[in-house]
Amino acid sequence: MPRFYLDTSDGDFKITDHVGYDFADRDEARRLALDTLPDMARDKMPDGDRRDFICNVRDEAGKPIFTATLSLIARWLT
Amino acid sequence: MITPLIRKLSQAVDFSDDDLATLTRLTSRQRTVGPRTALIHEGDRPGPVRLIMKGLACRYQSLPDGSRQIVALLIPGDFCDLHVAILDRMDHSLGTLSNCDIVEIPRAAVLSLIETSPSITRALWWATLVDEAILRNWLVNKGRRQADLQLLNLFCELLCRYEVAGLAQGDTFPLPLTQEELSDVMGVSVVHANRTLNSLREAGLVTFEKGSVTFPDRARAYEVAEFDPTYLHLTRRR
Repeated sequence: MPRFYLDTSDGDFKITDHVGYDFADRDEARRLALDTLPDMARDKMPDGDRRDFICNVRDEAGKPIFTATLSLIARWLT
Repeated sequence: MITPLIRKLSQAVDFSDDDLATLTRLTSRQRTVGPRTALIHEGDRPGPVRLIMKGLACRYQSLPDGSRQIVALLIPGDFCDLHVAILDRMDHSLGTLSNCDIVEIPRAAVLSLIETSPSITRALWWATLVDEAILRNWLVNKGRRQADLQLLNLFCELLCRYEVAGLAQGDTFPLPLTQEELSDVMGVSVVHANRTLNSLREAGLVTFEKGSVTFPDRARAYEVAEFDPTYLHLTRRR
């Protein structure tokens, strides 16, 4: 099974994955990346008007193959 | 012999010599089960009552999408399924996480205990109430705390429980879990479980080594985790 590396950042706390996960195909890695973002967003108190939660996937060779961003954007209307 | 079970139940009840002999006899026949082995599945007819003597096991529920939620961690001295001695079907599954020594007590023996020893009955009732209280705390943890505090709070609980079983070493307790299993406990993705472990380590709240967790400063961990051990009912009602 190919190995994929999932790097994450919430703007304050960035983690580079050195261990990786074994998946049947890259779609499984994509799904885990997408599953992870709401968990990350739930845990981070909004302390400003904008925060980006990012999960990037690298393949076995370390080449970036997928990126997902969940953005929290707040603004006053009046 | 003072087993983890006797140590644990003695938190609630002073046993007579007869009771101690009965409890020791009940747990004399153990068998070893390998890691990551199912003991009984949801929907099965409950057989004997299982008691963990050594190792780590769990209660869990499987979901149609293939994922699972671990709803209890069972350490030495914990009954896996005491309450199902009187129920018809399992409403959850049980499985080992690490290598375990397990005692299987026939259902009839549990029912006859209840009829013959008021002290043991009272202790088993107490153990069931504590299990429920632990589940309530897990629910609050999962529902209302950030993942880092949820996990830290769980670690505080486990340290207390291992202490009661006589199996903590200072501020260190065993945690033979993979990150995948930890994510099944926390109900978050495995990537987020890994992030959460890292954030606790970076904050200096816990250290990890060879399947064990250590608190460098237990009082600080309790404070940060908002951990109050009252729900473990380790003090006796007078």
